[in-house]
Amino acid sequence: MGIKIGNDKFFERVDKGINDKFMRKAVVEAQSRLEGRKTQTTEEMGNWEDWRDLSEEIRQHTLENLDYYLDQFVENVAKQGGHVFFAEDAAEANDYITSIVKKKEAKNIIKSKSMVTEEIGMNEALEELGCNVVESDLGEWILQLDDHDPPSHIVVPALHKNKEQIRDTFQEKRKYDKSSDPNELAQFARKELRKDFLSAEVGITGCNFAVAESGTVSLVTNEGNARMATTLPKTQITVMGMERIVPTWKELDILVSMLCRSAVGQKLTSYITGLTASKEEGDIDGPEEFHVVIVDNGRSKILGTKFQSALQCIRCAACINVCPVYRHVGGHSYGSIYPGPIGAVLTPLLEGYDDHKELPYASTLCAACTEACPVKIPLHELLVEHRKVIVEQSGKSSFGEKLAMKGYAFAASNPGVYKVGSSSAPSFISSVAKGKDGHGKGPGPVKMWTDIRDLPEPTGETFRKWYANREKERDQS
Amino acid sequence: MNVSLFLTCLADVVYPAAVGKSTVEILERLGCEVDFPKKQTCCGQPAFNSGFHRESRDVAKHMIKTFEEAEYVVSPSGSCVAMLKEYPHLFEDDTDWQDRAEELANKSFELTQFIVDVLKVEDVGAELNANVTYHTSCHMTRLLGVKEAPMKLLENVKGLHFTELPNKQQCCGFGGTFSVKMVPISEQMVNEKVQHIEETDADILIGSDLGCLMNIGGRIERQGKPVKVMHIAEVLNSRAEVKTWE
Amino acid sequence: MTTGSIHNKDKFLNNVANRLGRKRRKEGVELPKWSKLPQYEVFDGLSQDELLAQFVLQCDSIHTNVVVTSFEELGKIFPEVIEDLGGKSIVHWKDPRFQEYGLLEALNKEKEEGCSIYEWNPDLGQRNIDKAEQANIGITFSDVTLAESGTVVLHSDNGKGRSVSLLPEKYLAIIPKSTLVPRMTQATDKIHDIAKENGRMPSCINFISGPSNSADIELRLVVGVHGPVKATYIVVDDR
Repeated sequence: MGIKIGNDKFFERVDKGINDKFMRKAVVEAQSRLEGRKTQTTEEMGNWEDWRDLSEEIRQHTLENLDYYLDQFVENVAKQGGHVFFAEDAAEANDYITSIVKKKEAKNIIKSKSMVTEEIGMNEALEELGCNVVESDLGEWILQLDDHDPPSHIVVPALHKNKEQIRDTFQEKRKYDKSSDPNELAQFARKELRKDFLSAEVGITGCNFAVAESGTVSLVTNEGNARMATTLPKTQITVMGMERIVPTWKELDILVSMLCRSAVGQKLTSYITGLTASKEEGDIDGPEEFHVVIVDNGRSKILGTKFQSALQCIRCAACINVCPVYRHVGGHSYGSIYPGPIGAVLTPLLEGYDDHKELPYASTLCAACTEACPVKIPLHELLVEHRKVIVEQSGKSSFGEKLAMKGYAFAASNPGVYKVGSSSAPSFISSVAKGKDGHGKGPGPVKMWTDIRDLPEPTGETFRKWYANREKERDQS
Repeated sequence: MNVSLFLTCLADVVYPAAVGKSTVEILERLGCEVDFPKKQTCCGQPAFNSGFHRESRDVAKHMIKTFEEAEYVVSPSGSCVAMLKEYPHLFEDDTDWQDRAEELANKSFELTQFIVDVLKVEDVGAELNANVTYHTSCHMTRLLGVKEAPMKLLENVKGLHFTELPNKQQCCGFGGTFSVKMVPISEQMVNEKVQHIEETDADILIGSDLGCLMNIGGRIERQGKPVKVMHIAEVLNSRAEVKTWE
Repeated sequence: MTTGSIHNKDKFLNNVANRLGRKRRKEGVELPKWSKLPQYEVFDGLSQDELLAQFVLQCDSIHTNVVVTSFEELGKIFPEVIEDLGGKSIVHWKDPRFQEYGLLEALNKEKEEGCSIYEWNPDLGQRNIDKAEQANIGITFSDVTLAESGTVVLHSDNGKGRSVSLLPEKYLAIIPKSTLVPRMTQATDKIHDIAKENGRMPSCINFISGPSNSADIELRLVVGVHGPVKATYIVVDDR
């Protein structure tokens, strides 16, 4: 699939999002429930800010020593019989993964949810090989059945679909004949996917956190699908972004706790699984062969820059669940598999500004994201940093904006000019304040403003006049 | 106590005298000497948030010079004070200016923050008979960290019938240039805000930032809804009879 | 055990170091002293009985039934729980604790009454998985138990198959009360010690908190997706 989804332009996507009534209602409900549960589980801790501070320190330390911890991790994986491949980009990662699958002559592949495999378009690469690749996360499976509809949320990927739409997809693709009751739908998925789990030769997973000290890969789910995918197939391939690492189990404890609380408001999800290489001799279940693919795909370019903190992300979606922009436009509007505030920060870093130049501006900088982030990524500041790069380096800001900002800065640092501007403002504003027919008047930004709102009508004297008069009166008395 | 008023460009240019006037009168009533440095302009946030940091440095330097002599700088805007606090980061490679920026940042306060935290006053003797609700602006609460002060002051205004705004933590969709760059999204956001305001049955929406008030008020006007907006300074300066901008 | 292969390591990690603006770090990195350690404050100083109370409370919110019993009463309670879970067919770990707690005897009785009982057997290969897949109930002991989250921690081993807690329709965990600790921290601290001593980690460590579930359809909670649809815990006061 790749990071980019669809070919519509930004405002076309936004328009579609705004007009999708079901999706908007679903998002509003999801935000209030997920955010509500998160707030409840974090407030009851009483010292949530201490947890955030600790998490931030752990993530920062790990990134600053990323080469060291990755080295330690892979040596421990290899020591216990696992294989490791470092992939610079999507093509390298897919080449390695397909080579393993070919060697195993595998046809049936079961996957548990993984954003990085979406990012590198792994499914397509395997399907080209003639493999049957099945997503086992319920939400991802629904999207896959529905002709690969892209995810709209990183934790609840099928958030934009209602149960009737899901029932119809099941009917059309799998001859489902029951109701749209989520319980019945899920039971159907359970039965269908059980067959796939039992027949798969290769299981492919993502990785929530890899533990350097032991070479362990940890997986966090509620459904148990990651356990299925790593218990039954003979070969396991885990694909992870290179930043997804913790030094020891002690730090794993902290970050898993933060992830579960921030993502879904649970103390721990139903299943947290730590897998260290292949099964032991004498074990019956678990993989005989274990591979880890560590993916860069643009991440190393972020290291050592002002954006490094974006790599602290633990993919909990807490920022998405509080974002007032996401709330109204939904996930697909971002045009990326990574939506919301973290998506607006990460997508241009991984893929460049060309296709994503609007994303850093799709924020009011209200900082709700920054406040929600369990690892304290200053998301709204990174959005401003993007704008700065766009202005200063990429040359992608518009001529009109440059002119306006230079004019503004000149006026605001030269009081004489500012005063002329400000004293003529009231009469100018009066002339455009009310858009009688609901359409904006005035030049550029003023028109955009008055397209949907009135300007305040200045009445009476200005503050400067009042203050001057008062000073005069005082001098006289 | 000597206070220099930083009026902010919106109160200076877009709005009539009421906000600035109220700020001066409240502070004087509380025993402050208030002066208004006439060379002041804008905090520089429009350029800063748009990524024009070189330009915002010029504005910041001007503001630092303008308020160099001030003992305290007080402003009726949480957002603009948060911007003043951002100045030291603008001069990371210029220690002279950074020190001067730091000095300005340390002596700058949002109006309600100044009254409650510095003057240690929670009742300013105001009276306003009205059904009201309050919009907590994002920059004031999240960037400046001022959450309690306006509520404490409003609690002591006689005659106020206060209803909390549902989803009060949610942005109104102003966001400076966002409001004109991302009109369709901004429209949805402000619509939701107006809807929540209506749910409170308030006659007056109070706020501490003119940007938000201009956005919400402008939308209310356009929709022809019977709700007035008032800056908190006007509320705290109210005596007996209702005064709004109209 | 043969060592696994590693591809492209140096090129990749040199680039990482390069981007970080320094030379490769191959040694000498130590964990800093963290400024805060809030994890140790959770349920600090609570007695085993108080931890149990917290555990029971939490299980309520993760849709898991808990039965608390004494060592002596276990033999009486066990068949009742099995009946409640629908009996029929059981798969369980090959774990000496089943003998110690008198559960082999209890399971034998179930067998006499027509219930199919299967003990995990490393010598029988795939048959184990088939049995687990068909079983109504899977039974394991808990190796460590977390009060805060209602979690049982299972360390895999030859006789302790991963499938037992995963494939059957229902899951039953036997929890010695002495295994109760405040939270995940105490469990991961122990695992950290194993790793530090350079011992072989259990190849699979599972933290299980209740039945499998999903909220992927309209955010409505559905209990029982890929793993068990129902989970029950028996806490045994082993003093």
